[in-house]
Amino acid sequence: MNISVTGIGITKFGELWGVSPRSMAHEACEAALVDAGLDPSDIDCLIIANMLSGMLGAQEHLGAFFSEELDFFHIPSYKVEGACASGGLAVHTAINSLLGGEYTRVMVLGIEKMTDHKPELVSSALMGAGTNEERLSGLTFPGAYAILAKAHMERYKTTEEQLASVAVKNHYHASLNPKAQFHSLLTVEKVMHSACVADPLRLLDCSPISDGAAAVILQNTENGKRKTEVQIIASQVATDTLGVAQRKSLTTLKATEVAAQKAYRQAHILPKDIQVAEVHDCFTIAEILAMEDLGFFEKGKAAPALVRGETTLGSKQLVVNTSGGLKGCGHPVGATGVKQIVEITQQLRGSAGKRQVNGARIGLTHNVGGSGGTCVVHILKGI
Amino acid sequence: MYSPVKLWRNQKNVQALLGKTGVIVSWTVVRVPPEGFSNQAPYPVVVVDLEDKKRMSVQMVDWEPKHCRIGQRVRVILRRISETSSEGIIPYGVKVKPI
Repeated sequence: MNISVTGIGITKFGELWGVSPRSMAHEACEAALVDAGLDPSDIDCLIIANMLSGMLGAQEHLGAFFSEELDFFHIPSYKVEGACASGGLAVHTAINSLLGGEYTRVMVLGIEKMTDHKPELVSSALMGAGTNEERLSGLTFPGAYAILAKAHMERYKTTEEQLASVAVKNHYHASLNPKAQFHSLLTVEKVMHSACVADPLRLLDCSPISDGAAAVILQNTENGKRKTEVQIIASQVATDTLGVAQRKSLTTLKATEVAAQKAYRQAHILPKDIQVAEVHDCFTIAEILAMEDLGFFEKGKAAPALVRGETTLGSKQLVVNTSGGLKGCGHPVGATGVKQIVEITQQLRGSAGKRQVNGARIGLTHNVGGSGGTCVVHILKGI
Repeated sequence: MYSPVKLWRNQKNVQALLGKTGVIVSWTVVRVPPEGFSNQAPYPVVVVDLEDKKRMSVQMVDWEPKHCRIGQRVRVILRRISETSSEGIIPYGVKVKPI
């Protein structure tokens, strides 16, 4: 696979009440074009990653909406949706369309506007990613992950303090990221004293509701075209049952395992070869599940390692969620999977500033839709 | 929010589940509910292994904190699902209660 990341752009993530989706798209996409040294006319296709514009904003048809807004007139443009994995899926779709040979350069724009709406409405809209059975049971997204957390705690003796440590680490990383929603540091005590949302998950175990956009330009560098410093060497997607209850295991996201194993085979690497990873920590338990299901730790071993600081910036081992993750950087759902590619590209270029992982050469992104119904894994390599 | 046709179509599934018993395999207590459920919160949502091995997510009613545990036995019953607007159909469906 000869796919390069040639341009990246990202907006501030957060409660951007004064900023419209149009403005966010301009900021992210123009930054990516400037980064790549390209004009809008150089882009062959624009793929939008978004989940909620229809349910919250009553606006669909995002391909034409944003291609007009960005003056990318007449090029193919369409939306890819896979709940919170929309961003990763859009990148996967872009790669496949490049490999198909029709396009040379494809831009992916991940974008979400969530804070214009009441939390109950956003909560109900997000449950569009679940099953009718779950909606009729009054389950929420935190509730679905809380069920996974209870099962993990029962089987592996995982504690609420260990879960809280994920939020503490990711807020520390976010404090070093100018684009992150939160720059406040947390302590385990502060997380443990926050209000309970769905037992055992507390408010500070949950990623926030956010606005934000991220854009990447991907290029097919076959036929001797200029190779840039960051290549995508694996792109894999796996699915599982839509609802939590229909799965055999409540302590593993099978879609993560399947996508990761395929990605390692495609890239000809092992989990231990990765120095930096952006994983899908929509809730603190999700990062623990990801660390295990991606093959970085045996089942039940991720949480103690995380508490020991083994995945915190400064560790000599794999560092996880340098952007602050979904918890600290924010989680505009359609943008998240694209942001992960932006962050790992910065790490592999050596341009991540205060949150740079020294000597990072291979990075991984892990983007989950729903409670594990979709998983997208990308592996990137620097030169 | 609820399509009457969809609820009607779903009735045969409801009938097939009523009276079945099962065991809780994981659970949570939802304290920040979605639209329509605010007058019931906090309430447990449990994953139950039914006697026929089918696994489902379902709300638990008539509960006390001691019932929120893995291994608790429950029975499927018919209950009103949630609030609706004054013009909307009143949605009924399955919930479970501890036994």
